[in-house]
Amino acid sequence: MGGGTAVEWLAPSSLEEALALRAERGGDTTVVAGGSFLAILMNQGFVAPTSLLSLGKVQELRGIDVVDGELRLGAMVSHRAVERDPVIRRDWPVLSRAFGLVASPRVRNQATVGGVLADADYASDPPAVLCAVNARAVLRSPRGVRQVAIDELILGFYETCIAEDELLTEVRVPAALGPAVYRKFRSRSSEDRPCVAVAAARSAGRLRVVVGACAEVPQHYPDVCAEGADGPIDDAVAREIGAVYAKRMAPLSDSRGSAEYRRRVVAVEVRRAVEMVGADGAGNGAGREGAGGEE
Amino acid sequence: MKLALELNGRPTELECEPDEMLLEVLRREGLGSVRATCGIGVCGACTVLVDGEPLSGCLTLAPKVEGREVTTVEGLAGADPVQRAFIEAHGFQCGWCTPGFVLTAKALLAENPQPSEAEIAEAFGGNLCRCGSYVKIVDAVRRAAGEPAGAR
Repeated sequence: MGGGTAVEWLAPSSLEEALALRAERGGDTTVVAGGSFLAILMNQGFVAPTSLLSLGKVQELRGIDVVDGELRLGAMVSHRAVERDPVIRRDWPVLSRAFGLVASPRVRNQATVGGVLADADYASDPPAVLCAVNARAVLRSPRGVRQVAIDELILGFYETCIAEDELLTEVRVPAALGPAVYRKFRSRSSEDRPCVAVAAARSAGRLRVVVGACAEVPQHYPDVCAEGADGPIDDAVAREIGAVYAKRMAPLSDSRGSAEYRRRVVAVEVRRAVEMVGADGAGNGAGREGAGGEE
Repeated sequence: MKLALELNGRPTELECEPDEMLLEVLRREGLGSVRATCGIGVCGACTVLVDGEPLSGCLTLAPKVEGREVTTVEGLAGADPVQRAFIEAHGFQCGWCTPGFVLTAKALLAENPQPSEAEIAEAFGGNLCRCGSYVKIVDAVRRAAGEPAGAR
């Protein structure tokens, strides 16, 4: 880093200014939110941006608000803030819990809600849980505003639908109407990224089960979850959903586990997650976390 | 580019490149307690406090701390109760990771003056000690929190 041709540092202090710069420079500038992932890529020599557009001074992107029962998280809200915010802890505990399981407190001070989604790293914790609770990303440009679901936002490895003149400015999460859990199965250290992540939520008679860290994008099969409409879900149904997820998925292999290993973990972790949200409405995010081992 | 910040309690203006990490800029200033080690935010040896919160010096683009308060252990001048507790509890062996542990402990105790064992472990999740002095390090935090040594 450093030396050579001067790198441009753009640090707008308002959203309007940030959007104008983004629209003007497009893909020629690299957007910096918390910057933790970008810094890793720079330190490893994978990227060498010639222009950096930092959102650090844009106060409009730091809000945590509830509007008409919906949670609105500014893109620059840190993981640590989601973990500790009293309103999120009370009304969306599964988010506090999932964001609080990312890396270490020091990294959570830096990593942001917008950054982790725009990076679209398959092994990050937040995408699966945000997908399970039906969150939407707000994308803005001088052309206008659009909202996309998490599975529309993330298209592949480190790929999103964010256009070159757009900024991800906010994440909106509907009111939590039922239990939700996030299970993080780690195969190495407790601060590691997940080997298998399972987020499950029941809301308004619908069950959503999303598996993260196992494929390019979060995986979920609404047809398989149709079983979990109303009433308690019994163990046989939970087991069946786990089995079908494991069978249908084509897990990747990486240093955290082989495809075959992941397939077995998916069956178990999906079953446990469904059991946790299936029994009754009492387990909203308070469940135990995946402890390792398989059955 | 110029970088104005409050460094260890003093208004300071430094020179940096826009794509330089804070770690490199602080080391160039002679602040050798901030240690280049893993380069991926895992080990905690380059921990600094920014507005009182721990951040990884190796993952923080230097211009991001413009106008903010940055603290390294040099700013504690050996006089901080947490530093004294580390010495009294012998919470180190080789000392490489110690500045990061001291700053992380300071931030923890500022927020939570009586942390439990589990809370201490959680706070240190991003700090590695390859000598394995964790037991003594936790003792140091308990001592700094005013508890008797070895108390459980």
